[in-house]
Amino acid sequence: MAAPPIGRDPGVEPVPRTAEPAVTPPPGREIVLRCVGLEKRFGSRRAVAGVGFEIGRGETYGLLGPNGAGKTTSISMVCGILARDAGTVEVDGRPIDIGTTEAKAAIGYVPQDLAIYPDLSAVENLRFFGQLYGMGGPALRRRVEEVLDVVDLRDRARDRTEQFSGGMKRRLNIAIGLLHTPKLLILDEPTVGVDPQSRNAILESVGALSAEGMAILYTTHYMEEAERLCDRVGIIDEGRIIAEGTRRELVDLVGGTDKVSLTIGGDGKAAAERIGRLDGVGSATAREGAIDVLASGARRILPRILEAVGGDGVSIRSVEVVEPDLEAVFLHLTGKALRD
Amino acid sequence: MRAAIVIAGRILRQRLRDRSAIVFAILTPLGLALAFSVLIPNEFSSFHTRFVVVNRDGGHVAGILVTDVLGSLKAADVADIDILASETAATDEVRDGSAAAAIVIPEGFTAAVEAGRPAEVRIVGGEFAVSVEIARSAVSRFASSVGSIQLMVATTVAGGGAPDAETVSAAQVAAAEPGPIAITDTALEQRQANLATFYGAAMAIMFVFFATQYGALALLADRQVGTMSRLLAAPISPAAILGGASFAGFVLGLVAMTVMIVATTLLQGANWGPPALLAPLVLTAVAAAMGISMLVASVARTPQQAGSLNAIVALSLAAVGGVFIPISQAPETLAMVSQVTPHFWFLRGIDTLAGPTATLGDIAPSLAVLLAIGILTGAMGLVRARAALVAR
Repeated sequence: MAAPPIGRDPGVEPVPRTAEPAVTPPPGREIVLRCVGLEKRFGSRRAVAGVGFEIGRGETYGLLGPNGAGKTTSISMVCGILARDAGTVEVDGRPIDIGTTEAKAAIGYVPQDLAIYPDLSAVENLRFFGQLYGMGGPALRRRVEEVLDVVDLRDRARDRTEQFSGGMKRRLNIAIGLLHTPKLLILDEPTVGVDPQSRNAILESVGALSAEGMAILYTTHYMEEAERLCDRVGIIDEGRIIAEGTRRELVDLVGGTDKVSLTIGGDGKAAAERIGRLDGVGSATAREGAIDVLASGARRILPRILEAVGGDGVSIRSVEVVEPDLEAVFLHLTGKALRD
Repeated sequence: MRAAIVIAGRILRQRLRDRSAIVFAILTPLGLALAFSVLIPNEFSSFHTRFVVVNRDGGHVAGILVTDVLGSLKAADVADIDILASETAATDEVRDGSAAAAIVIPEGFTAAVEAGRPAEVRIVGGEFAVSVEIARSAVSRFASSVGSIQLMVATTVAGGGAPDAETVSAAQVAAAEPGPIAITDTALEQRQANLATFYGAAMAIMFVFFATQYGALALLADRQVGTMSRLLAAPISPAAILGGASFAGFVLGLVAMTVMIVATTLLQGANWGPPALLAPLVLTAVAAAMGISMLVASVARTPQQAGSLNAIVALSLAAVGGVFIPISQAPETLAMVSQVTPHFWFLRGIDTLAGPTATLGDIAPSLAVLLAIGILTGAMGLVRARAALVAR
């Protein structure tokens, strides 16, 4: 494993990425994860409704959606830690369920919550989970040293993790998932609560693991992470994958529209309604301190947009016209911002 | 199996590290044993006391009281009997605690008895209530015999005869003979653990619940800190997770019991019976405690809640099961209810082992009930715990 250290100063060059990966794993590429029609209800609430996707060897697939969209529920079913109401999951060609053990050995799982024992040291945590994956003896000791290097925790290996900073705990959380060199690495929002430096290093490490051939399922509600890391992205909202493809394919869904971001002072709700009624404007959404507008030929109609903002005590602080990104795609598809 | 042992090892390591295992499995039993050694002296388990006697009469009947009646207590190694010259000296010894009671036979006692007049023996009791009661019982029994003699003599006189010396002597001999019906209580004499063993066993079965609970609490802690999702994602079955937690609790319970047994044996001279018979009794008792702890924890949402619930259940079962009051002295209703507790069956098994000829068959009822409680409650707890894992 030659992944760059996650915790070190990220002076490392970004991992080179293929220009435009195929929409589905290229023919002939080994499929590591295949899930079809996943469904899950909690009482009367339908948390996941027919989610399905495939991930090939060396591919990074992102599940992008706001909090509560069904990302964690979906990957909990993929990992076999949550019983599903319907659907199938195959990892490395073997079906997976709550009671199965063989297929689970191919998965490295990094949960969103820190899943480490605070009263054990980093080494003790790694050894314990390594033993659960059938590792032992010199091979386990060697592998523990390796992953401690990857997450740059070797000098704190014997300290109890309760003494670690939040970022160090996050890195150990990832190290445990990597320990047994899985074919499929599942990371559930691994950068939540992490400082920017550690976050950057984590993203680089994930990219390196993918380049080495590991299949990666990555959930996030950070659009930038999905754009940077993922070969393909599934946009999930209210338990459904509403769009899927490469970044380019998803952006094309928006058509020739641009995104106009207005930073404002005051309540922009009424202004957004006025903007939404203008010709050429696809949608206008007000959020705290900002209005997001999707419009065809935005530069051409920008004066009318600015005019529509006037009044209601709303002041314009800045204007930015950008090409559509995944945030814009989500806005276009759902009418709401990713971080609503 | 390997995964369960790995999980159990991790739990035990954590409990050793936060010292809860040391406190509940080692220090608490040791502390209790030490407390008993102070509060319940060894001599209590083989009762012995001392009486002083002032025989100011010196007559024939007084001699019988001193030599035969009180002498029998000495022969049975229940009491030392020392003769003192003055009532003042005897009273002083009772007052300073060197004697439990003084028995004073006044002058003219024999003459009064032989003449059929009221006679008096004074007992000066000290603070040792049990010893004083023994002295009182011995003298009362003698007084009853004297009453019989006086009645016989009175009957002879009423029939026109004279109470000659031969009649009086024959009456005395007859009264001294044992009664025609001898009552022996084999069960109580041969199958009752002594006081040190009883309290050692009672505390052991009560506190084993506080040791075994750590297995079940570990499951709730895993859910609370988020590690349960990682355990479930590992290539191990949910049964291995539950089995590992149960095994850790069982080991902690077993250590607590063993420490208590060894400590009370060495410090208190407690007699726990033959090790080969004690071992299955202890194993089944720990299994019962483990099962109940698992069931209790399965209804809780947090380790803190489970710990509180377990304490309530452990103390309630202990109170009902005869830990604080021997069931033989409890009201009939309580005695019946106590039979649903593992405490009752464990203490009954320990009582049985106190007998010199106890066999595995003798403790079989205790073993069967304890095992049944362990299997039943443990199975219910594990089923509920598994459902909670899967339905997360």
